[in-house]
Amino acid sequence: MLVDLAGGWSPMLGRLAWSQIPYDNPILAPLFVAVVIGAILVLGLITYYGKWTYLWKEWLTTVDHKKLGVMYILIGLVMLFRGFIDGLMIRTQQAWGVGSHSSGVFGALHGYLTPFHFGQVYSAHGVIMILLAATPLLVGFMNIIVPIQIGARDMAYPYLNALGLWITAAAGALIMISLFVGDFAHNGWFGYAPIFELQYSPGVGVDYWIWTMELVALGTTLGGINILATIIKMRAPGMTWGRLPIFVWATLSANVIALTSFPALQVALALVAADRYLGAHFFTAGLGGNLMLYTNLFWIWGHPEVYFVILPAFGMMSEIFPTFSEKPLFGYITMVLASMAIAGVSWLVWLHHFFTMGAGPYVNSAFSVATMLVGIPTGVKVFNWAFTMYRGRLTFNAAMLWAIGALFLLLIGGLTGMMLAVPAINYMVHNSVFVVAHFHSMLLTIVYAIFASVIYWFPKVFGFKLDEFWAKTMFWLFSAGTALVFVPMYMLGFMGMTRRLDYVFNTVWHPYLLVMEFGIAVYMLSVLAFFALLYVSIRDHAKNQVGADAWGTSRSLEWLTHSPVPFYNFAVLPHISARDEVAWRRDNGIDHVQPDHYEDIHMPNNTGVAIILGGLTFVLGFALVWRIWWLCALTLLAIIALVIYRSFKGDPGYIITAAELEKMEKEAMRREAQVGKQRRQAGSGVLGEAIAYERSDLPPLVSRPSSPVGLDHRS
Amino acid sequence: MQVKWRNTLKNGWRYAALAPILLLNGCAGNPYWIFDPKGLMADTNLFYLLVDVGIMGTIVGLTALLVVWFMWRYQKGKNRGKYDPAWSHSNTIEVVVWGIPIIAVGFLSYFAVTGTFEINPYNPTIITNHLKPASDPVEVDVIATDWQWLFVYPQYHMAVANELVLPAHTPVFFRLTSTAVTTTFFIPQLVGMIDVMPGMRTKNALESNNTGEYQGIASDYAGAGTSWMTFKTKMLSASDFGQWVQRVQQSPASMTYTSFNNYADPYINVHHKVAYFSSVQDGLFDHVIDEVMNGKTWPIPPMMTENMVAYMQKQNAEHRD
Repeated sequence: MLVDLAGGWSPMLGRLAWSQIPYDNPILAPLFVAVVIGAILVLGLITYYGKWTYLWKEWLTTVDHKKLGVMYILIGLVMLFRGFIDGLMIRTQQAWGVGSHSSGVFGALHGYLTPFHFGQVYSAHGVIMILLAATPLLVGFMNIIVPIQIGARDMAYPYLNALGLWITAAAGALIMISLFVGDFAHNGWFGYAPIFELQYSPGVGVDYWIWTMELVALGTTLGGINILATIIKMRAPGMTWGRLPIFVWATLSANVIALTSFPALQVALALVAADRYLGAHFFTAGLGGNLMLYTNLFWIWGHPEVYFVILPAFGMMSEIFPTFSEKPLFGYITMVLASMAIAGVSWLVWLHHFFTMGAGPYVNSAFSVATMLVGIPTGVKVFNWAFTMYRGRLTFNAAMLWAIGALFLLLIGGLTGMMLAVPAINYMVHNSVFVVAHFHSMLLTIVYAIFASVIYWFPKVFGFKLDEFWAKTMFWLFSAGTALVFVPMYMLGFMGMTRRLDYVFNTVWHPYLLVMEFGIAVYMLSVLAFFALLYVSIRDHAKNQVGADAWGTSRSLEWLTHSPVPFYNFAVLPHISARDEVAWRRDNGIDHVQPDHYEDIHMPNNTGVAIILGGLTFVLGFALVWRIWWLCALTLLAIIALVIYRSFKGDPGYIITAAELEKMEKEAMRREAQVGKQRRQAGSGVLGEAIAYERSDLPPLVSRPSSPVGLDHRS
Repeated sequence: MQVKWRNTLKNGWRYAALAPILLLNGCAGNPYWIFDPKGLMADTNLFYLLVDVGIMGTIVGLTALLVVWFMWRYQKGKNRGKYDPAWSHSNTIEVVVWGIPIIAVGFLSYFAVTGTFEINPYNPTIITNHLKPASDPVEVDVIATDWQWLFVYPQYHMAVANELVLPAHTPVFFRLTSTAVTTTFFIPQLVGMIDVMPGMRTKNALESNNTGEYQGIASDYAGAGTSWMTFKTKMLSASDFGQWVQRVQQSPASMTYTSFNNYADPYINVHHKVAYFSSVQDGLFDHVIDEVMNGKTWPIPPMMTENMVAYMQKQNAEHRD
């Protein structure tokens, strides 16, 4: 051992011991029992219905970008719920442990969480919400939508895509198991130097934090490479850069950020690991370490990461506003420029996370101005969305409501962001709950955009719409929760309340904290509404089936193919003629044109390697956390061997013959025609019945562009 | 000149902007510490806050109204506004939507830069440019431990734990360091935040013309005791401050390099204990920085934070002050 460890260590089990299982913890022990019962129930049901083969063949070994995307989103939703429960625990502690006379239970002086436990809860909340909820949810949507929007059959590297998913899943599993085996970091989601050093955090919590973040970073970097390659190389014929759907542009800018910034995080965390495992002194206070270096390194990733999650959300909003305004996006070119500008500036602003660390006024000024520059392209985006609605025909369905909610939250987050960008203001509210309220405004912008997208793209993926009533109910409950939690939080920020207090010393703040607790209860209702939404929608799915163009006013390419999207995406790869291809075809009356013949399709095979690698990665992470060196070596060797094996084996793929394809297409079209007939009899809804493809035997089309006047949309 | 228009701005805007909040709270002490500054530094912060919110609030507010108006006017089926399915570009609007943020950011950048220099913690020109020849500044060396504050007054060779007492109408200059981990020094009504880091020295300054008691906070997470790591800041008149100094100098306890070692052991100050030290070994502040840079740490025992009840019993048994 290169470092002194508190507690025991054995060659066989490392630091693992029975005492590390919190069986006496009054919160965790019952939860553990519930989880075990739940798991047995789920596994039992799968066995009872004999679904193991189906699960393995259709989901666990799949390389289909849509299924992988759905699994990303499922992971994201599960982690979003876990993070929400953490949030509920934080709010409850702060509503309870106020003033020196407040009661305490479970070993806490005030409230029900000891400081150490409270620290773990909010650290887990942050890590989960940013890296394991927002990131997988967005990566999931990129995965599903981008290939269809650019007219590709799959991602550039389908196997790599699966690998990214299962590594992300391993990270999620690692943070979840820290609940029941050992503990989690208490140093906040971004970690402070030197509190994460062994002297100040002797347990395994920080190690869980390091390896969870490393794994997510690895998974997201792999995903980023894949998405970039897909967008650059896999576009359908005619899909020029100027015709790329705006969500693809947003994804492109976001993944440029991901690919270039995540390595910085991985290096920073590797150095922390060197300190904790090898006794190095990168970030210690003494012996030549530099703790400020960590903060810089972390935020050199951390700030671009913020834009990595917000840019796809902007892209989603840019897709949804035009569809429900029934006109093209205003200022497509400036939207693209704005996305790229945000991605570029995102590299120049990291220091605004620590204006208070003592940098001189010249440095602080420079980063302050750079930070405010972000406000320019972001402001342009907001105006462009507003002018997309201008002279439109607005339908306020659930997806549109969520998108508008995101717009207003962005306004609030932008206003407070411009305040925080000024050091003279920042000094007063840095590390206060005002900052917490600000970045929750921004992250909730993302959450709103994600729920808008769930409703918007659900019919594309599953072939039926979600229930409008419950989607709207959830929106209003969620918005009420947002107002009740974050308006008081902004007010508390102006009262000087600082963040991460497990004991609140000022009783004046108590009423506000109680209002926030009530807000969390309202959020809980919105979670229930979400479950109701899923239940009702699945129950009534026969009634809500849709055709290719689920909304009737859709614009981009993903609405050209069937809903649900067949595993080969497009029977015949479409030739792209306009920026808003589906709208253009609709305008030109060729959205019902059928392909004149089919050709063989080459598709990638499923592979079990990705999930096995994911499992091994999880074991490796676990072994590293507990310092079980033999297991580390074993899993690492196994991973390397498996990667080499798979590289030599390769994947020849398989062929769907034209005849098979035609059969499947006929079936899909028959279904859609039936749905369309029902819909017409019911006398509601617009429905695209069949797929249109560019055909050589059709006369050249006279374009009536729905794209920008004065700009050649065909260029 | 500048000071004059600033005062007009401040008094006008401040009460206009804060009228709803002030009404809400009546006169019984403003709980909004950020809106109720009692020192030059905090006052300056509020000025920039009002400028920023004034400009950005106007733009954001108008944008919100614009969106709401479009939502109302162009709702499907109401036929209030014209529907133009192909309209998606206008050079005029492009210029305006880029122009407004550029002008706003340009304008705010000017304020951001001037503000950064005015309240630069190392040399706040709002204080240092107006130093009166007669007012001798007070120096305070702040040493944060896990989880207490030690305020050393080198000019008076004394120290106080967990309470900061300062004279009004006098510039105060701080040097700050920490023994174990990083935290932040913050007195909302007097001065903004500055990080306090082990093995490093940061600076801050304040000046206040108001006597009274103000809350000080450790505003960055430093471990289990952070929430209790608060301190009262008392601004006294010059004569009261003199008397207070004499009282401290008569207290029996003293602080040496050796006793500091024990003092800096992890301790959660749940009872907000204040301690006076009539004498302090010279150069304690620099000594602490040197020690930390040479690798000295004050590790946290693993059991300490897991169970507060057991820890409190242990702490009481040791009879530590």
